[in-house]
Amino acid sequence: MLQRHGHETVLAVLTVAALIVLSFQSDAFLTGSNILNQGRLMAEVALVAFAMTFVIISGGIDLSVGSTMGLCAVMTGVFWQGMGLPLPVVLALVPLLGVACGLFNGFLIIRFGMPPLIATLGTLALYRGLAEGISQARSVRGYPEWFAQIGQGSILGVPTQIWILGAALAAAIAVLELTRWGRTVRAMGSSEQAAQFAGLPVTATKYVVYAVSGLASSLAAIMFVSRVSTTRSDMGTGLELDVITAVVLGGTSIFGGRGTMIGTALGLILVQVLKNGLSLAGVKGDGTLVLIGVVLVLTLLAGSLTERRIRR
Amino acid sequence: MTHPILSVRDISKSFGPIRALKTATFDLFPGEVHALMGENGAGKSTLVKILAGLHAPSGGHILVAGTETTLPSPRAASKAGIAVVHQELLLFNELTVAENVFSGHNPMRGGIVDWSAMRSRARELLADLDCHDLDVDRKVGSLSVAMRQRVEIARALNHDARVLILDEPTAALGERDAERLLDIVLKLRARGVGIIYVSHRMNEIFRIADRMTVLRDGTFVGTRPAAETTEGELIGMMVGRAVDQIFPKVDVPIGPPVLEVEGLTSGPLVKNATFTLRKGEILGIAGLVGSGRTELALTLFGITPAQSGTIRLNGKPLRVNSPRAARDAGFAYVPEDRGHQGLVRPMTIRENISMAVLDRISPMGFISRTREAALARKGFDLLGVRAANVEQQVGQLSGGNQQKVVIAKWLETNPSVLILDEPTRGIDVGAKAEIHRLICELAGRGLAILMISSELPEVLAMSDRVMVIADGRISATFDCVGATPEAVGRAMTSRREATC
Amino acid sequence: MLSRSIPAEAPRTGALRRFINEYGHEILVALAIAVLLIGVGLYNPRFISSRNLTSIFSGNAYIAIAAIGMTMVIVIREIDLSVGALIGVLATISGTIAVSGAPVWFAWVVPILCGMAINAITGVLVAYARIPSIVVTLGMMAVLQGALITATGGTWISNLPADFLLAKMTFAGLPMPLVWAIVLTILAGLWMRLTRFGRSLYLIGGNAEAARAVGITVPRRIVAVFMIHGAFAGLATLMFATQLQVIQSTTPPNLELIVITAAVIGGVSILGGTGTVFGSSLAAVLFATIGSALIFVNVSAYWLRACIGALILLTVMADMVRRRRAMKGH
Repeated sequence: MLQRHGHETVLAVLTVAALIVLSFQSDAFLTGSNILNQGRLMAEVALVAFAMTFVIISGGIDLSVGSTMGLCAVMTGVFWQGMGLPLPVVLALVPLLGVACGLFNGFLIIRFGMPPLIATLGTLALYRGLAEGISQARSVRGYPEWFAQIGQGSILGVPTQIWILGAALAAAIAVLELTRWGRTVRAMGSSEQAAQFAGLPVTATKYVVYAVSGLASSLAAIMFVSRVSTTRSDMGTGLELDVITAVVLGGTSIFGGRGTMIGTALGLILVQVLKNGLSLAGVKGDGTLVLIGVVLVLTLLAGSLTERRIRR
Repeated sequence: MTHPILSVRDISKSFGPIRALKTATFDLFPGEVHALMGENGAGKSTLVKILAGLHAPSGGHILVAGTETTLPSPRAASKAGIAVVHQELLLFNELTVAENVFSGHNPMRGGIVDWSAMRSRARELLADLDCHDLDVDRKVGSLSVAMRQRVEIARALNHDARVLILDEPTAALGERDAERLLDIVLKLRARGVGIIYVSHRMNEIFRIADRMTVLRDGTFVGTRPAAETTEGELIGMMVGRAVDQIFPKVDVPIGPPVLEVEGLTSGPLVKNATFTLRKGEILGIAGLVGSGRTELALTLFGITPAQSGTIRLNGKPLRVNSPRAARDAGFAYVPEDRGHQGLVRPMTIRENISMAVLDRISPMGFISRTREAALARKGFDLLGVRAANVEQQVGQLSGGNQQKVVIAKWLETNPSVLILDEPTRGIDVGAKAEIHRLICELAGRGLAILMISSELPEVLAMSDRVMVIADGRISATFDCVGATPEAVGRAMTSRREATC
Repeated sequence: MLSRSIPAEAPRTGALRRFINEYGHEILVALAIAVLLIGVGLYNPRFISSRNLTSIFSGNAYIAIAAIGMTMVIVIREIDLSVGALIGVLATISGTIAVSGAPVWFAWVVPILCGMAINAITGVLVAYARIPSIVVTLGMMAVLQGALITATGGTWISNLPADFLLAKMTFAGLPMPLVWAIVLTILAGLWMRLTRFGRSLYLIGGNAEAARAVGITVPRRIVAVFMIHGAFAGLATLMFATQLQVIQSTTPPNLELIVITAAVIGGVSILGGTGTVFGSSLAAVLFATIGSALIFVNVSAYWLRACIGALILLTVMADMVRRRRAMKGH
């Protein structure tokens, strides 16, 4: 059991170690309000990362999540201000848009046999381009108070986002570990042919996986717009890289077939802990970026070496 | 007295716990065609890979022209004068024939690659092999199998090889192409090249080989000059015991027709298939590699759905357009590529056994752990899988045990028709007998079985009837009496056009 | 005894046909450029004025140069997401040396060497530690971006000496970036066609196992290709960093995606084994042309990225359809 979850264990140990070390660097670090705030800040990345975990385990990848988020953010503004639709209607339409973006990705990958890397690279450009073209780089402001509650409010003293994340995490774990769709995703990632030959619904699952990724991106867009009360076309830039880093750090194999939600959650937490802790300790903002890059490569190196030892 | 150009002494090779080769020994003289024979799993491919520099032997010696040599890489093998044409051709699909022939060793002039010399020399090399209708500027990916093989041989000859190893070269060729290949081999022999010819096609071997070496279970059994041995003796050496002792064929009452196929057509390799399969019957399907046997199975199983024709199962006409539909109808398919199509190797025995029935044990989408554990245990015990428990990764099991897991998976679906594609490929002799016994038992329980196999002895011994496929068409069907090796062999190679 | 009929002459493909088979995609891209130039030029003749053309092509020449190295990486079936960050870092190194009083050619050569060294690390991780290049270069990108901001503290480098500004110089009347792009593309293209090493890239990307079987030491070549790519990133930096009097402290946004896109639209298949630097350079020219054309037909420049996204998808769709058709052929 430990061998199977060695990666998560190492990650957990690292996170705890980082927490301890960084708490000595700054008094503000390990406070309740700071922790809760950090949870708020990482909500968008986390939500998309849960969806991305499914995508990567299934053997694919989705580079378009940041652009989908940007497009959904822009369209939120367009639906609300440009078309004058009531905000609740907008909040129902935007997730549909996210799903549509995801389904288009699935269509390119399945119907045309495009490698997911290049298909989502193309939609990364296309969706961002649409966001830029539609918005003409103008931002939309002035959302109503109640809308800001999602991004800036709290329930029982805990930020709304954390409740949403908690529910998403629980659902994601349940689906991945306990349902037949989770089993299908894992089988496809290891050997798509074997899954197909066993009668598993591989094509349908692929569409769903990318649709969910698009959906997560659209929900992240709503959360983010609510948090900063504006929409801009450059929202979500670089999101895909933060998300993939967290997922891979969490032990999910980029080749597919292997990975856990807990791992992704730990990866997210570790990254956020490092970012926040180091910045409170006085390290310049992007110095943490270096550390995260190094940690990512070292983790993969360690993983690759142990895997080779097992294979021999 | 000539000295051997290549000597192999007591070569052994283990992959973890699996001992693929124990003591392989033989000599090859220049200007000799030396056949290397053995059943699936005897170790022939492993030995070929060692001589090609792709694997390092765990023990033993290799001598090239009398000098002890190590072959740590394909480059070293090439420098030692050894050229190999593998079964899976190693070609570059996006590059031209000329560039493939010279891959890695393009002719140079004035410090740059001389493309025109490359093209004309490639033409010469191919002409030497009596291949005059191959355009050297075509991309290799667009060529037929026979043409691609000739490109590989031309590449091998390009390096002034002293030893040429051909691994199952005629497995996918029609009669005319196979003839041309044998002519090439004889031509090379006349030039003094030593040729190791890996095959189990008796008629070919007796036509061109000077000597034969037999491997069984990774061990050297013996070498015989062609003139002093017979087919029977060789088979006996390959198999180790009397032929009728291995396949415990028990006669089983054959019931009414279960599967009726009429005019089934799908793509270029399934043309107008019409046949009937009865309950309890084992219908053996013979044919050359690439003749359309697997394609027929894939059509029945819904992977490449039929374009026309009818399938009737238990009297009911069916439309099978996906593996799930096939499963629901009562088909089960044990594929020939066990590792990639039959199993998900990193997953456990339990997860693999339950894979084809997940939707039946998952109320509301959540997999019922108790039901899964129960059916895994049942399959594990029933098939006698040799492993610690159901939580073991199937990737770590031996070939025979892996196959048992695949069969267990499909038995769970309660099939009426079981299609087996090369069921004993890559399985050692002991496990083979077990699998054969199992197949007979399943037939006894009323399953109708289609067994595709490239091993004639297996097909002939296990089947109630034999259906031969050539070029996508059913060329002949034989009952027990009429199914002789000669008749079946002839039916396998009929109606194949030569292509170059 | 073999009976032999008089052997027929083997079929041959004419030279023109061969050229089209080999460079079909590149020809398409060139045609697309021509169509745009003619079409928009008719609509607004100022589009094809020498001043506009020169400014389009020189301003974006560094993308073509960076795409040369990226093409080689993609041909061997790898990818490099860190090239944008790398160019940002190399630009700062170059500028720092330039204002420090060292000889100007020092400021030109050192970035190239640094590019090779940094990418050597990436190459080793990909080739020997067997970590997929997408993940290694992701991590490297983070490291480089972070290092850049940390080292510069956000300050830009200004007051660059005039003789440092290579991109503003001319050669035979043409702007230096244009000359460099053309010369480097031709040299690299010929190198990939006429040297054994260059041909081996297509072997490695086309079928790594077969490449090994014909005796190529694949890991060493992978490291070499990443280093060459680093050198070209350095050369691209020189054209990028010497355009203005200042060097920014941030990495050029999305540069890696633009460079990869240039290669893909230029006919370099993401699956490896095919594609030329002629194609990627032409594609870089195509982008620049589209970008300028949009302005001249009064379409907002904000639609450029959408056009490029659509172009990538169409190009790859066509590639996939072609492959599928070829496979069905036999």
